[in-house]
Amino acid sequence: MKTVNHHPDAAMLVEFSAGTLDTAASICVSAHLHFCNKCRSELLRLDQVGSQLMSETEPYAVGEQLFENVMAKIDAQPEDLERTNRLEDVGSSKSTDEYFPLAVNKLIENTAEEFSWRHMSASVDVARVKTGQKDYEVALHKICAGGKTPRHGHSGKEFTVVLKGSFSDEKAVYSEGDFLLREPGDEHQPMGAQNGECICLSALASPIKLSNPLGFLMKPWLRINPM
Amino acid sequence: MLGTKIKIVDDDQTANRPVVLSTEKRSDKWSLLLVAVGESKDRKAFAQLFAHFAPLLKSFAHASRHEGWFPGLSEDLVQEVMIKVWNKAAGYKPEKASATTWIYTVARNCRIDMLRRKSNTQHLPLENEDFWHEPDEETPVSLLRQKRSEDKVQASLEKLPKEQDEILRKVYLEGKSHAEASKELGLPLGTVKSRVRLALQKMQILVAPEFREEFL
Repeated sequence: MKTVNHHPDAAMLVEFSAGTLDTAASICVSAHLHFCNKCRSELLRLDQVGSQLMSETEPYAVGEQLFENVMAKIDAQPEDLERTNRLEDVGSSKSTDEYFPLAVNKLIENTAEEFSWRHMSASVDVARVKTGQKDYEVALHKICAGGKTPRHGHSGKEFTVVLKGSFSDEKAVYSEGDFLLREPGDEHQPMGAQNGECICLSALASPIKLSNPLGFLMKPWLRINPM
Repeated sequence: MLGTKIKIVDDDQTANRPVVLSTEKRSDKWSLLLVAVGESKDRKAFAQLFAHFAPLLKSFAHASRHEGWFPGLSEDLVQEVMIKVWNKAAGYKPEKASATTWIYTVARNCRIDMLRRKSNTQHLPLENEDFWHEPDEETPVSLLRQKRSEDKVQASLEKLPKEQDEILRKVYLEGKSHAEASKELGLPLGTVKSRVRLALQKMQILVAPEFREEFL
């Protein structure tokens, strides 16, 4: 596996481990973890902290019937449920990709027929996914080989994870698994790599602003539409 | 001896099947019991896990200070977690995490999913455990290393100064985000973040500061 160079910061991993990171950010961190060995082992250690803190708590007696209730529920569930392998659920739709993180494929499948690639500009297609939250628009972006995107600034946070291929901006080249955080005020002009299309997962908190005065021609860039 | 595999017979009468594990016997029998549940739906092993973990899970549930959480949900959480433990035990890998850590992650995911189901605004098509995939590891952690790492966490937690211990509890047990903790403690967000990070660096949980960009 290739080395991933850009990671979520420590605070995000801690919140992911503690379960306090918001949904859209969690989706992106999860996608990054799929590619990043380093962050996975860091996360395991963070989970050990949570586990240790939990096991140090003062045990709290449960109701006498609880065990029987749990066993009754277990016995009442259909046999196959116990063995459901969630990974196997994914892959029937043509939009999913075996190399994508599980969470991304699940989102694509869940979006079902509403999942569709639309032109955003000559070189960028976008397909939104349903996530059930309204704070971020979560979508896949496809930049064609060598494709230029308009130079733009961000008025809100944006998380991006490269799922396939690579792209670059003024600062660096980003490839599979790389995690990027754009803060309000950041401005950049991503470009697709020459050697193939690039697919990214992104979660965008609020509309980006085009730096070009003719930006109004690029209306699709100017709003977010969480599904 | 290191790295070789020998058979260990657990002295507990309910798990008297030989279980193949690496050289050092785990100090906790919970991982062995969980393996027994996963392999053969061992009800006695499950009963022992329940007796140990249910009260801890209830206590974990009670510690929650999430908006919308109330104590009445605690036993629901215990039930939901223990049923998941039964159903998912076959996928448990003792060389990756101890039973306690594995059950913690199940509990954490259940707690989030219960909160999401309760709120009307979020109908998440994913369950939190869907974020929790385990791609094929190229470098599997050995049981011994995994265990050492857990022991280290335990020992280093005890040595933390009070304010660092306190903030970790707030984050992990009460379920406060860094931003919420900052409001509650009347500290700037950056201070909360660095206090958490310092604690975790001291514990060698965050081991490679050079690979992290500083965001403060």
